[in-house]
Amino acid sequence: MTDEITRRDFLRRAVVGGAAAIGIGELVAVRADMADAASSPTIAVASKRRPAELVRASVEALGGIGKFVKKGNRVVIKPNIGWARKAEQAATTNPEIVAEIVRLCKQAGARDIRVVDHAVDRPDALVLRMSGIEAAARKAGAQVSLASSPALYEKVSLPKGRALKSVSVIRDLRRADVFINVPIAKVHNTTGLTLGIKNMLGAVWDRGAFHRSSSLDQAIVDCAAEVRPHLVILDAIRILLTNGPKGPGRTADKGIVVAGTDQVAVDAYAATLFDRKAEQIGHLQRAHAAGLGEIDLRRVNVRHV
Amino acid sequence: MSKRLRLLRRVSQALFSAGFLVLFAVAAYPLLSPVPVDLFLRADPLLALSTMISLRQLVFPALWYALTVVVLTILLGRVFCGWICPMGTAIDACERLFGIRGRRPSAAPRLSSLKFYILLAILITAALPSAHRKAAEPSISGSVGLSAVYLLDPVALLTRTLTLTGLPAAHWAIGMGGDVLNGWNGSDAVQDHPWIAVLLSPLQMAYGLVGRPEGAYFRLSAITFLVFAGIIALSRYARRFWCRNLCPLGALLGWLGRLSPIRLRVSEECTRCMRCVNECKVGAISDDPHHYSGPECIECYSCIAVCPENAISLARGHRGEEREDDLRLGRRRVLAAMGAGVAAVALPKVGLGVRRTDAGGQVLKLSSMRLIRPPGALAEDEFVTACVRCGECMKVCMTNTLQPAVGEGGLEALGTPIIVPRVGPCTQPCDLCGRVCPTRAIQPFSIEEKDYLYVGTASLDRSTCIAWAQDKECLICDEACSYDAISQDVVDGVSRPVVHEPICTGCGICEWVCPVEPRGAIRVNSSGDKRHLTRNEQRAIRELADEGTLEQGSPYPGL
Repeated sequence: MTDEITRRDFLRRAVVGGAAAIGIGELVAVRADMADAASSPTIAVASKRRPAELVRASVEALGGIGKFVKKGNRVVIKPNIGWARKAEQAATTNPEIVAEIVRLCKQAGARDIRVVDHAVDRPDALVLRMSGIEAAARKAGAQVSLASSPALYEKVSLPKGRALKSVSVIRDLRRADVFINVPIAKVHNTTGLTLGIKNMLGAVWDRGAFHRSSSLDQAIVDCAAEVRPHLVILDAIRILLTNGPKGPGRTADKGIVVAGTDQVAVDAYAATLFDRKAEQIGHLQRAHAAGLGEIDLRRVNVRHV
Repeated sequence: MSKRLRLLRRVSQALFSAGFLVLFAVAAYPLLSPVPVDLFLRADPLLALSTMISLRQLVFPALWYALTVVVLTILLGRVFCGWICPMGTAIDACERLFGIRGRRPSAAPRLSSLKFYILLAILITAALPSAHRKAAEPSISGSVGLSAVYLLDPVALLTRTLTLTGLPAAHWAIGMGGDVLNGWNGSDAVQDHPWIAVLLSPLQMAYGLVGRPEGAYFRLSAITFLVFAGIIALSRYARRFWCRNLCPLGALLGWLGRLSPIRLRVSEECTRCMRCVNECKVGAISDDPHHYSGPECIECYSCIAVCPENAISLARGHRGEEREDDLRLGRRRVLAAMGAGVAAVALPKVGLGVRRTDAGGQVLKLSSMRLIRPPGALAEDEFVTACVRCGECMKVCMTNTLQPAVGEGGLEALGTPIIVPRVGPCTQPCDLCGRVCPTRAIQPFSIEEKDYLYVGTASLDRSTCIAWAQDKECLICDEACSYDAISQDVVDGVSRPVVHEPICTGCGICEWVCPVEPRGAIRVNSSGDKRHLTRNEQRAIRELADEGTLEQGSPYPGL
């Protein structure tokens, strides 16, 4: 072989280089688009329907599932399957919601749909069964598993982290094309409320590190800055008002599903269901300050459906 | 015809062993088996007899199952040993697998009486009063004996071996396989070349079917395995060394089998070729093939199968000159065995393990800060004597928290189940251990009853708790508590966890989730153990606690 550039080589490089240039251009355009969207985020609030229809209506209001899930995508859904509690106790995400999201993704042509979480309660088999999510999501066509081995996690460094410098996140979630966060709205003894951003704590291996860090709220935000969902669908059909996050406690039937791509905005709206202001919730305040999303609902385009 | 009985016996051994393994495997959540998973343990007459003697009461439903084996033995002799016993089959299988043939019959050690002395010692230990039952006055009926049967009962020993060593080994193998597979699937090579993932997909599917077990780990697993391996190794001296010389269950069944109206008959065709003598698994046939020992014969019928003259057959009738039913026990040795039984009671009594303290009506062992029993367990003295250390509860436990006690309850409690919260919590919506105990040492309980089946109390060490000592935002113990027994104290603007002792049942989930490594800043100890009270009394305490009548730190009513 010589170092000379042959004609064929030249042509190949020209084509590849050109394509790359166009690709970068596209990317810049997309980024700009996203930035534009972030300046005035839209969230959809669906109410007065059965659970599955709440999901459909809210996602439809955001432009339909096709906007998020493309044919052949690998989708990971992260509900809250943290506790060995029954769905009606409102400590875990409503199984009908999870199942409906799975069905939507399937219709959009997703190749592989996984439902994952990292339960606090033991053992996994019991948590999966009691929550009802395993049966419902599996029937809808997803693989359901709880990640209870460090081998299933991947280390993610948090270069901008102030309380944490790295975190181990469920590998499936990192490798997914589309990541959908499906929290349930609950009060939380330490963080005030647990909504979408706090739900990410269930995707990490060493939760203790968050509590041992200089600030739990900041650690949650550090992690959320790096592990960002493409879509948040928050379950507020029945919310837990006392003794959260595990209960048993008082619940309230709100009959609402909130969807959006701006996680802080979704959480800020959900906070109002508890008659709380998002600014009072430490980790939401910090998330907004870190530029993760809009906390002021006056600047959020709330679409009621 | 002559070989058909042997074939039938082998089929029987295979079926019963398979049944034993299947029942062991299905002793797991969600525990749907229509057959009791502890069937073999219930049907073991020695476990039932010894436990009923030491506990001074009938043990149901084990008694009914055990009686069927008793009746079977009275009718047919020691068929349990030859046809059913999974331990006997395991020994047969290992002898075949490892090519162990034993020594020639004339060179084999003659210790067959030993098992009768062992049986006697075990029963003496069970009969002697070892501890008083609750606050009862000292008397035989107000006492309990001590369990020694667990050491050498074959069914308990084998179940324990499977639980403590077989289960972790299986989990380790499956887990390793899964990790390797996950590693491959997650590797960059597979990400870049998806066709490799396609090649791996059959393996992935197979792994998906098995599922990833939450790997079990047990203490005492090595020593348990060594005991079992030792039993197999002894076959080098004589085949089924265990069955012929050591097994106390074999001794009991041999003694009962003397009533059997079936015997072997040797016709005049016999040429004294000695094949039957060499083939006999348990050395029951004497040097003269016309005589054999009834209590030793395990009815395996190998002798019938190998006799070239077809001279051996089964015959009805209790008496025959071929069968000798004498146990051949020596008076001096019987006395020695009784002495050993007494010593077995005395030995644990000289250790610190049983030094007691009496706190508000409940008796706690001084060595036992960490003696946290499963919910539903009998009061300590009764529990220790009723538990046969089979390990079923540890097998069925979903969180692996049930571990064999080593020093927590003293020598007398060796191998009994305790909750070790740092391994796993006693998870709230679970009642499995109460459903598999063959002797009801763990009484069945419902999930609702767990609200007041107090087995211990959590105590918080404020010097290491990161919320108290370092002002960290951590209330994981409060989050995880299933009974709402942990609340928050806001001190200097920081929320800090506080245990509400009258509500805490000692399930240990707080200790399990505590992020303070390695021990946890919140730990369960046995101080709240209320197993000496009836369930109604315990429920009354819980109701008082709910009303707020029981204040923090106040002594519990001396119910």
